[in-house]
Amino acid sequence: MTDLRHYDVIVSPSITEKSTLVSEHNQVVFNVAKTASKPEIKAAVEALFGVKVTAVNTLVRKGKVKRFRGFSGRQGDVKKAVVTLADGQSIDVSTGL
Amino acid sequence: MQVIETLAEGLKRELKVVIPAKDMEAQMNERLADAKDRVRINGFRPGKVPVAHLKKVYGKSIMADLVNEIIRDRPTAILSERGEKSATQPEIAMTEDQDEAEKILAAEADLEFTLSYEIIPAIELKDASGIKVTREVVAIDDKEVDDQILKIAESARSYETKKGKAAEGDRVTMDYLGKVDGEAFDGGKDEDAELVIGSNRFIPGFEDQLVGVKAGDEKVVTVTFPADYPAAHLAGKEATFDIKVKDVAAPGEVTIDDELAKKLGLESAERLREVVRGQIESQYGSLTRQKIKRQILDQLDELYKFDTPERLVEAEFENIWRQVNTDLQQAGKTFADEETTEEEAREEYRKLAERRVRLGLVLSEIGEKAAVQVSEEEMQRSLFEQLRQFPGQEKEILDYFRKTPGASASLRAPLFEEKVIDHLLTEVAVTDKTVSKEELLADDEASDEAKPASKKKAAAKAEGDEAAAPKKKAPAKKKAADESAE
Repeated sequence: MTDLRHYDVIVSPSITEKSTLVSEHNQVVFNVAKTASKPEIKAAVEALFGVKVTAVNTLVRKGKVKRFRGFSGRQGDVKKAVVTLADGQSIDVSTGL
Repeated sequence: MQVIETLAEGLKRELKVVIPAKDMEAQMNERLADAKDRVRINGFRPGKVPVAHLKKVYGKSIMADLVNEIIRDRPTAILSERGEKSATQPEIAMTEDQDEAEKILAAEADLEFTLSYEIIPAIELKDASGIKVTREVVAIDDKEVDDQILKIAESARSYETKKGKAAEGDRVTMDYLGKVDGEAFDGGKDEDAELVIGSNRFIPGFEDQLVGVKAGDEKVVTVTFPADYPAAHLAGKEATFDIKVKDVAAPGEVTIDDELAKKLGLESAERLREVVRGQIESQYGSLTRQKIKRQILDQLDELYKFDTPERLVEAEFENIWRQVNTDLQQAGKTFADEETTEEEAREEYRKLAERRVRLGLVLSEIGEKAAVQVSEEEMQRSLFEQLRQFPGQEKEILDYFRKTPGASASLRAPLFEEKVIDHLLTEVAVTDKTVSKEELLADDEASDEAKPASKKKAAAKAEGDEAAAPKKKAPAKKKAADESAE
């Protein structure tokens, strides 16, 4: 039984042009919880997908200020993690868990 | 694509069609490449979506489309390749297994389906000149025209108010109030009703009691409704009618002159004669034509003998059978009343259905060879004729014809048949024969007597429907049959 906390760490895979580009380098991109740290992300990915992670890079994309009918609002920030997998390992991100 | 014939027995055919997974995948990839530049997926600029991702997202739905298309289009292509015509829509059977279907959609398994159908036998057209028909033409004598005019004149007869008592043939104008058990009933009241004594429009006995009344008289008439009177609550009851006579009029002389013609909207008595004669002629004309048609069909029936596709016969039989049953039900009869059993009747109608299908096939083949076309204009005309039969419901009927695919075919079929018969008439040997009116009518009755009444109807319908079966219209027809079956 894997730790349920792991499911809170990883929000969703990020499927974009850029993420398909980096998949060439055996890297996978996830949207993760704002509070998640790199070791947590590493542990979660290793536990949930059964792969070996060699490195985790994170970034926070700040939400944009959007105006809707004259009212200004702010999109939420998103934390992303670029996870590098060990050679020969892969995750099929589009199939889901 | 591989086509394997698994059954070829009589007119029945069964084919197994296999399309390799590789071919399917190739076709799917082609479509994906096509779709690539058009789809918009979040996270990707248009046209930048990797094919692998596209396939994951849309692969299944595209494949399902592909399978549907193949199943829709291939059978016709395969049939035309084999040079066969299917009598009905071919039946297509695919795997029922869910896993198997999944695999096909994932392009991992070969697409396999079986086609089963019955072919329309190749009909070799025979020379039609061997067919001989006699056209019975009736010479219309003046007396008949006169009789007819007299009838018209009588219905347009004028009445003149007379003093004194009403006699047979006089017209009485009155108010009346009908009562059963002392209470007025629905429809038993009228004012200024006109009644000709001796016209038998009212309940038997009612008119007789009016003989001898005068204008201004009041009278109570007692009658008994007949036991088979349509309104059930009145049938067999005794009723009294309080009558107030307002007017008694004697019939005027019946004269055939220009005045009568003018009353009927025509210029002169001469013209009236012409019109009446024309009417009689066209009545006999259609009778004559029906007889010729039956002769031609009978002889075609003799001429062409071949196996008929079972399913067509079955569908036709179902049609007839339903018709017969409803007829019987409406008449409140059973097969026993017609001096036959259900089995016998079935047997008979099955033969009839086969004849119809066979003749339908022959006629359509002949029509096709002779390039008989039914024009849009003729379709319109027949549509309007249909509309005229149902006044007040024009819109519904138009909608029906527009929306039901088989409906226009059902309009087209009789037209096509008529035209083929016309065409045949130019080829066959026609001998004219002048007959009297009695002969024309008598012959018909003689042939009718051979069959019980309900069969006559079915047979008459047969003549009208026979061209309805041919191949192009077959699917539509089948559909129609299915619908009405529900």
